[in-house]
Amino acid sequence: MLTLPELGLYFSFLLFLVGLAGVMFRKNILFMMLSVEILLNAANLAFVCASKLTGTMDGQVVMFFVMAVAACEAAIGLALIIALYRTKASIEADDLKALRG
Amino acid sequence: MNLSLLSFIVMGITAVLLSGVMITRRWPVSAAMVLIAIMTLLAGMFGLLEAHFAAAAQIIVYAGAIMVVFVFVIMLLNLPPEELRYGGVTVGEMILIAVSVFVAVGLGTKVGQGFLTTGLESMGVAQGESVAGGHHMYFPASENVKNVAASMFVDYLWAFELISFLIMAAVIGAVVIAKKRSAEHADAA
Repeated sequence: MLTLPELGLYFSFLLFLVGLAGVMFRKNILFMMLSVEILLNAANLAFVCASKLTGTMDGQVVMFFVMAVAACEAAIGLALIIALYRTKASIEADDLKALRG
Repeated sequence: MNLSLLSFIVMGITAVLLSGVMITRRWPVSAAMVLIAIMTLLAGMFGLLEAHFAAAAQIIVYAGAIMVVFVFVIMLLNLPPEELRYGGVTVGEMILIAVSVFVAVGLGTKVGQGFLTTGLESMGVAQGESVAGGHHMYFPASENVKNVAASMFVDYLWAFELISFLIMAAVIGAVVIAKKRSAEHADAA
């Protein structure tokens, strides 16, 4: 029988999988950023489970730092989306091919 | 099966299913609302893992602050419906998803089994020992916030201070990136 944090690691893996699918298969930049938030949440869940498994507070402190980095990422990413929509009038990743990526 | 394990499993399965619902929405606002539900469920899971500070921070910072910024930008963009073209998942994408889920579940199960069976001791992490040194004393597990504070402001003080600089830089950068360049447009015209 799995304990709570061990089970949580599997849930975090599944959440990360779904978020990765969202980043890969959605062409809309807004949805890609929302999926990145799922990825960060899955990582946070893994950190908290690891904190419970090791019996230390390291995981929870790092989880707080990940949260701060997620806030920075959201601020910068959404500012970039606004700037892109102003210049290209589109937030589809396929329409942003000035660099021929 | 005790109640906390049962509710943990129910919350986890609901969160995974809702994230599947989220990435297939057509409208960004409904996706953002589903994401708030996912974050609230994760906060409940943190609470069951006795990470009470993490649960509160998840609700306040994530479901509160970050998602408000998301919803605000979605409203600000005011996308016309024809911008939100999403025709569902194609056959090629379905095959790709199936193959990658197969590989990922196989890999993840192997890694997870190794992690859970050999235990953390083989990775050089002893039970109850902080990676960052950990010379401070821990309070009882019921006083989660005290424990987090003792770790964050003693072991991780420099990281904490540097994170505040990062947030400051991000705020300034966001303002600079998103502001209207009216002077340049006037020059061009």
